[in-house]
Amino acid sequence: MNGVAEKPGAGAAATVLEVRGLVKTYPGVEALRGVDFNVRSGEVHCLLGPNGAGKSTLIKCVSGAVEPTAGEILVDGEPLPERDPAAALGRGVATIYQELDLVEDLSVAQNVFLGHEPRRGPLLDLGRMRSDAAALLARLGHEKIDPRLSVRALRPAAQQIVSIARALSYDARVLIMDEPSAILDAGEVETLFEVVRRLTAEGVGVVYISHRLDEIRRIGDRVTVLADGATAAGGIAADTPPDELVRLMVGRKVERLYPERPAGGGETLLEVRDARALPAVRGVSFEVRAGEVLGIGGLVGSGRSELLRLICGLDSREAGEVIVAGRRLAPNRPDRAIAAGLGLAPEDRKSQGLLLDWDLTKNITLADLGRFSRGLLDVRGEREAARAQLRALNTVPDDPGRRARELSGGNQQKVVLSRWLLRECRVLLLDEPTRGVDIPSKAEIYRIVTELAGRGLGVVLVSSELEELAGICTRVLVMREGELVAEVDGEKATERELLSHAVVPTTGPDLIEEVA
Amino acid sequence: MSLKRLMLAIAVAGLVVFGVSACGGDTETVTVESGGGTAGAGDSGGADGDSGGSGKTVRIVASVPPTDHGWLGAISKDAQAQADEYDDIDFKLLEAADADSQAQQIEQVISEKPDVLVVLPQDGEALTPVAQKAEAAGIPVVNIDRLFTQPDAATATILGDNYQIGVLAADYIGEELKCKGKVVEIQGLAGISVTDERTKGFEEELKKVCPDGGVEVVAQQPGDFNPDKGLTVMENILQSENEIDAVYTHDDDMAQGVVQAIRNADRDDEMFLTGVGGSQAAMDQIKEGGLYRATFLYNPNMAASAVNMARLIGLDEGFDELVPPEVPRQVIVPAAVVTKENVAEYEEYAFD
Amino acid sequence: MNQAAALRNRFGALQFQEYALGLVVIALFVTGAILRPDTFPTWDNVRNMLTQASIIGVLAVGMTFVIATSGIDLSVGSMVAAAGVFGGTLVDPSGGTLLFIAGAIGFAVLLGTINATAITLGRVVPFIATLAMLSIARGLALLLNDKLPVGLLDLNGGSYGDPAPFSLLWFGTGKILGIPISVWVFLGIVVGGWVVLNRSRFGRYVVAVGGNREAARIAGVPVRKVIFSVYVLSGLMAGIATVLLCARLGSASPVSGNLYELDAIGAVVIGGTSLAGGRATMVGTFLGVLTFALIFSLMTQLDLSTEIQQVTKGAIVLGAVLIQRPEARY
Repeated sequence: MNGVAEKPGAGAAATVLEVRGLVKTYPGVEALRGVDFNVRSGEVHCLLGPNGAGKSTLIKCVSGAVEPTAGEILVDGEPLPERDPAAALGRGVATIYQELDLVEDLSVAQNVFLGHEPRRGPLLDLGRMRSDAAALLARLGHEKIDPRLSVRALRPAAQQIVSIARALSYDARVLIMDEPSAILDAGEVETLFEVVRRLTAEGVGVVYISHRLDEIRRIGDRVTVLADGATAAGGIAADTPPDELVRLMVGRKVERLYPERPAGGGETLLEVRDARALPAVRGVSFEVRAGEVLGIGGLVGSGRSELLRLICGLDSREAGEVIVAGRRLAPNRPDRAIAAGLGLAPEDRKSQGLLLDWDLTKNITLADLGRFSRGLLDVRGEREAARAQLRALNTVPDDPGRRARELSGGNQQKVVLSRWLLRECRVLLLDEPTRGVDIPSKAEIYRIVTELAGRGLGVVLVSSELEELAGICTRVLVMREGELVAEVDGEKATERELLSHAVVPTTGPDLIEEVA
Repeated sequence: MSLKRLMLAIAVAGLVVFGVSACGGDTETVTVESGGGTAGAGDSGGADGDSGGSGKTVRIVASVPPTDHGWLGAISKDAQAQADEYDDIDFKLLEAADADSQAQQIEQVISEKPDVLVVLPQDGEALTPVAQKAEAAGIPVVNIDRLFTQPDAATATILGDNYQIGVLAADYIGEELKCKGKVVEIQGLAGISVTDERTKGFEEELKKVCPDGGVEVVAQQPGDFNPDKGLTVMENILQSENEIDAVYTHDDDMAQGVVQAIRNADRDDEMFLTGVGGSQAAMDQIKEGGLYRATFLYNPNMAASAVNMARLIGLDEGFDELVPPEVPRQVIVPAAVVTKENVAEYEEYAFD
Repeated sequence: MNQAAALRNRFGALQFQEYALGLVVIALFVTGAILRPDTFPTWDNVRNMLTQASIIGVLAVGMTFVIATSGIDLSVGSMVAAAGVFGGTLVDPSGGTLLFIAGAIGFAVLLGTINATAITLGRVVPFIATLAMLSIARGLALLLNDKLPVGLLDLNGGSYGDPAPFSLLWFGTGKILGIPISVWVFLGIVVGGWVVLNRSRFGRYVVAVGGNREAARIAGVPVRKVIFSVYVLSGLMAGIATVLLCARLGSASPVSGNLYELDAIGAVVIGGTSLAGGRATMVGTFLGVLTFALIFSLMTQLDLSTEIQQVTKGAIVLGAVLIQRPEARY
């Protein structure tokens, strides 16, 4: 079609899933405006698009959760009955959502067969459940996961494998994965790719939704770009250049995903000396200087989030010192850390960063209420200050009366940042700020971060996206198993180099960990 | 859950249940020891008392509701005092907060095999099965005040006549009002026999004494034997009725709240009030005269009588007045009307 | 824009469920007016109901703060009894109003502080800690004066039938501008509670703690101090409530306050404050208290039997909750 060769292996395979002219209208909103989409057996077809483009609606229609207003959905050439998730499952269309639909307190085997347990007479056949689950896990290359384990004991990456096994238990022909790499670190993503390759080798068609262009390039066969509810480009080759993909999504050329790298080199704002909080953090020392973005990379479990929490006084510090602007910070005192000028945007912005039921104003002013209270709270003042922050960061919508729940991931992250900017903090600690955020918003956040650094703040950026670390950081530190093992100059860093420092030399990352 | 865990859980649960019941659950043990005539307040001792000199020692265990209410408080004091009079009685008094825990308590007591059990049940019907069990185990039961519902649940029963209280109240109020007027009834705790009897006696006697319906019961609400409930209920009734001639309450302590409501509304000249029980506060107000005109009581001393009866049963003796001497199956203690005229007589029985 | 947001914007300051509960209150009042036209819709009766509402009302204001932090206080009823008896023992046989009030409120605050300590330092779950206090306080109420009530009728500033201003009994029956003192106190506390909840830093922190404790902590809210304070506050409210109750009752009774906590919690919850914490409304609590007061008054004045009262009260409460917006239900 556009002259680029398609990847081998995706040749004349049968079409397992086809969507024709799908339309879905909600009152006042046209979520899908005639989308065409098809998936071949054995291919990995990536779905790309900004938030609000219609990806989730498309998936919900295909999986039967939602009834389309018009159009057709065909599995193996036969139309799918509408609004019937059970029928969709029965025909082999399985979906893995970001919020894995597992029951934490049940075992792996029980989760895999939830809803369609093998029985012996009226009773559950536990033995068969276990052996069948083990077989499915083996098919995915994960026979190490014991089907008797409680799902709660597994790392998110392993839980995801269980979800996939569950899909397989329905004899999936089409497996839809909604941003699966969002909860994984670099090593786990590799493992996931292995699993995906196994599945496609068996003839399963995989729909892979992601915001990460590098992943699309690596695992995808074809890409469909959605924008504004329509197909901006259907089924193009996955190694289409990223700039082109971004242009298709956004409709215009985004200058660059990554703005100019901040230079750093100012005074030392934050100093951490031999911080220790066993078992996660085992003696970490580093400095943050004004004007820089300091990245911290590493695998999940390397202790990065724990390190940030320790610095901010949220978790207890067993040893070591945290010095801000020359003054030592008392441990376990989040209020002191904030007063000294630190601000944390936590890993899980929904459950830890924001109060979702509150409006944006209250979320933004929470850390700095002293500014607005002379006896009573100056509610109007709060609102105006919040509005100003939201505008400065181009938040959409910028109405401070909106509830936090209503905003997209990227905009929610801006609200969290606004809070600390209002407080005029000096060192921003960001834990996975672009997780689950679409490309245009990511670019925004990068712009904001580098601009803040340019203004003299120090920014610490913890991220599992190596490309991002290599893209905007002045320096990158790598943590492994609770210790800092490398410091790399941002300009010179490559993803490969960062990954090699992060990974434990002997075996791959361990997916199973008994949670204490 | 694996089998091992299941077994462990059962074992732990079993231990907990055993431990809790061994400690008596939420029952309170007030142990009153009688040691030959001295009127000591109880210090806790074991179930084995010292045996008296010659002859047999009768081991009596009493189970009553919590003695926080004035009348019940008098019950426990009188019972203890009576037990102290004899040196051949080993007496223990137990309190239980509600029917279930009282039943559990009595079950335990049965296993200790006392000679006689004296019971004032929280709820006669609920405690009947366990009383029957005691009887079946060879322990005679003396039932005070609130009746068990089966005849084989007790060897002897002594009760105040709640029905008669209602009757006396109807007589008094009917006469004072000359069979013409509006009456408000503030009842006790809804659903127990004491309350039902006091209401029934009142209603039925009123029909007899004032057959042409000149006395009308315009409101009938439970006050739960609680002064603050009595207060709020009466406040509302005062709102909806602007003419009240008399108030019949089921309890003196509760009546204090009712009285206050009337006084707060400045309507104490409009009506008069009667109570039940014979509390000191009531007696004082009756002596003063005015709003509080009368109270009806059967003496909490019946507990002392119950102890006497229990002792006789334990010694295999009976009332000498009866031929042959035996302990009657049912003794009904008469109720009395206490008014300004005769309050001096009854004051000695008043409880605080 | 989803529907709830649209409705909210339309109605402005009050939330939808507060309007709905207001309708329930009006409906109950109108029912009473129809069924008892001579006695129900009178100023006298309104004063009567507000006076009765004032005790639970004061407790409910404190309870609103506690529930907003996703906690609960089951001990308020028993604290009322214990504080009253304690104050009573201080002034028995002689002592003035001031001593009683200071003693009662001080004791209640002490009990509330014990709750607060158990919950924040002892890390005991609020349900259990306050359940234990319910028992302890009830026991104390019985112990302090040997199970007897304490008469307070002589705390009347000299005149028996017409208590002098600021004597204890005056708080029960005195009026200013025709409105009983209890009602002034109640309304004052409701207004004060509204201001603190909605226009003070503390109030904002309280709701933050209940809404998302971890997020609040990350934002620098002093979580432990906030939780400690709300239980002390609840104790304070119990102290004030007992002063109002004893003033009207003319005595401090050890068996008073029975199940008051359930009425307080019920009023707060049907008002729209979420038991899970994070959403609180003082207006809702006020309306909830009025609802319960109206139900009690109406049914007593209609002379309904207890059984009917129980069933009807339960049905009205269920109905009031069902009209509220779906998100508020749990």
